[in-house]
Amino acid sequence: MNKFLLLLLPLSLFAHLNIAVSYPYIGALTKVIGGDHINSVVLAKGNWDPHFVVPRPSLISKVRSADALIMNGAQLEIGWLPPLIDRASNPKAKVGASTFLNLSHHVDLLHKPALVDRSGGDVHPDGNPHFHLNPENIKTLAKTIEKFLISIDIEHRSVYEKNYLEFEKMWSLKIEEWKEKMADKKGKKVIQFHDNLAYFNDAYGLVNIGTIEPLPGIPPSSRHTIDLIELIKKEKPCCILHDVYHSTKTAKFISSKSGIEIVLMPHDIEALENIGDLSSLFDYLTSAIK
Amino acid sequence: MKKILLSSTLCAVMAFGADVLPVEKRTFAQSKFIPDISLIMDMSYVDRSKKDHELEHLEVPGVAHGLLGSHSHDDHDHATYNASNGFNLNYAELVLSSSVDPFFTMDGVFHFSENGVEIEELYFTTTALGYGTRVKGGKFNSNFGYLNEQHHHYWDFTDMPLVYESFLGMHGINEKGAQFQWTAPTSTYLMLGAEVLQGENEQMFGNGEIDLTAIGGTEIEAADAPSLFIAYAKASFDIGDTTILGGLSYAQGKSRIDHMKDANAHAFSADSKIYGADLVIKHYFDSYSSLKWQSEWLMRDMDGKMYNAAKPNGVNLTKEQAGLYSQLIYAYDQNWKVGARYDTIYQNDVKTAGTNQNMPTNMDKYSAMIEYSTSEFARFRLQYDRNNALYNDNDVRQKIDTLTFQVNISIGAHGAHSF
Repeated sequence: MNKFLLLLLPLSLFAHLNIAVSYPYIGALTKVIGGDHINSVVLAKGNWDPHFVVPRPSLISKVRSADALIMNGAQLEIGWLPPLIDRASNPKAKVGASTFLNLSHHVDLLHKPALVDRSGGDVHPDGNPHFHLNPENIKTLAKTIEKFLISIDIEHRSVYEKNYLEFEKMWSLKIEEWKEKMADKKGKKVIQFHDNLAYFNDAYGLVNIGTIEPLPGIPPSSRHTIDLIELIKKEKPCCILHDVYHSTKTAKFISSKSGIEIVLMPHDIEALENIGDLSSLFDYLTSAIK
Repeated sequence: MKKILLSSTLCAVMAFGADVLPVEKRTFAQSKFIPDISLIMDMSYVDRSKKDHELEHLEVPGVAHGLLGSHSHDDHDHATYNASNGFNLNYAELVLSSSVDPFFTMDGVFHFSENGVEIEELYFTTTALGYGTRVKGGKFNSNFGYLNEQHHHYWDFTDMPLVYESFLGMHGINEKGAQFQWTAPTSTYLMLGAEVLQGENEQMFGNGEIDLTAIGGTEIEAADAPSLFIAYAKASFDIGDTTILGGLSYAQGKSRIDHMKDANAHAFSADSKIYGADLVIKHYFDSYSSLKWQSEWLMRDMDGKMYNAAKPNGVNLTKEQAGLYSQLIYAYDQNWKVGARYDTIYQNDVKTAGTNQNMPTNMDKYSAMIEYSTSEFARFRLQYDRNNALYNDNDVRQKIDTLTFQVNISIGAHGAHSF
């Protein structure tokens, strides 16, 4: 009988904060800071194009039951998160709520376009949204999430502060290690499919000289591919840093014509099978370019 | 002295006026509050095996008339999408949406056609109720079934499925009223909804009085409005990279169908119900490629009285009709999609005073399409239809082949679509 009564109590008395997050890297950071006091519920899959997530109805249920929502922002989720928020109609998971966090407001964005016009492709008016690929930004984001968790759950302030400090210490050591590994890559020219490594390149002094897509979000064209092959022959970039979600067909063609190497670069946790956390993501990225 | 003072003031004013401040520094500027605005155009080029005037009197016997082409009654011109051979400007759709305050959002969808402007949708939605509940009020597309809520520009074919258009007309259930929806706090998606609507669908529902003096009768009394009530349940889950979404819907209302101004003047008054079941299964191969199987079944039950010159006081008329569509869409990549659709109305029991009128059944339609999108904002689609569902005035089945080239272009800020 007593056990039965216990079952009737609202679940929230025992449960942790359910924090819905758009991408796996945010889920991992939130879990590191939140520890045992939170569940992070990741909406998008790590091996998919972060721009094109299908707003599956099962995700509505996840947003509906969330105590807070953390997103990347800078319009990366524009094509899929708004209808989920709209359908879930959860006051805790709507833009402007104190339990809603837009990470892009807390870092400096690169490449804010001077001209916002769709003749330039799928431009992001606020700047390049793939900012989490600079490890320094990860530290800033961890601090932002620490402050956010404290603001919505002051009771566990000391836990969040402690978890942040531990993470910050570990991460700073890793940053030094990655800097050393990447020191001799400075100034190398690279090609990408889409400029989703802008912040990684910025951190380690790699220079992006071209993309396989002619404009952001516009699939490769034969004309542009031919121009790119010419550019590669002239500029001699070290490699094509390719994301995991676009087909490598065009990259392979370019490689066969110019001899350039293709390096697969995961953009998030779970983008490749053996990438299970943030450290292994950057371990992989900083080892990929030979 | 005065002159100098005046001219220097003038200069100062001019200098100040010429120095235009950036938007964020203009004290009372409100331009940041401009709602999201988008404009969508839909045009088509049609090549049909029948001339336009031949289409006007074709009907789905016992179900609907005027499905293809344009026709007029009640002094209104009604043009369906892709009505004429050659070029058609189907519409310009203007969409405005924004949050109102911390408690509501508002959306307006305006359809501009060459015949005028229609308020397609205009509604507010609550955002602050909590507990998974949401209330919508205004004029909107009902969430009955799967396709009904979606706008034309989001459909996978350029026309509506046969059973939808035959039962409900080309706008589906698009009504003034209120909607209540609740999403259950379960890990599996479960949503229950109910709607109270005015009930003014031209093809199926209505509540106004009808004057029968032209055929020697009196009148059909008006029904109490609102007169259309809808309830539905939807559930969804994922198996790996496959999403399954199913729904059951029910609509109940009054029918007042007024064709008193037609050559063969008649009217129909009834209690009407529609039952719907829908199933969507979508599998994703990667971020850009998917296979989607979408099917909906509709059955309607109308029980009432028919009035015409021979029976000015009415005769009992019942209709039990059912049909379905099933379509398969393969998205090869971000640019290319192909699809096929099968449509049928397979049950058509129309009884006058208890006697079955032996109306034709197995009325079907086959469609295939291929589309190319240069981006999310521009789509070009070629569609072929074989329609075996229409009959002429002499009850002879017509076979109509239609080739449609549709162009759908949008500009501005248009919100993302739900699943």
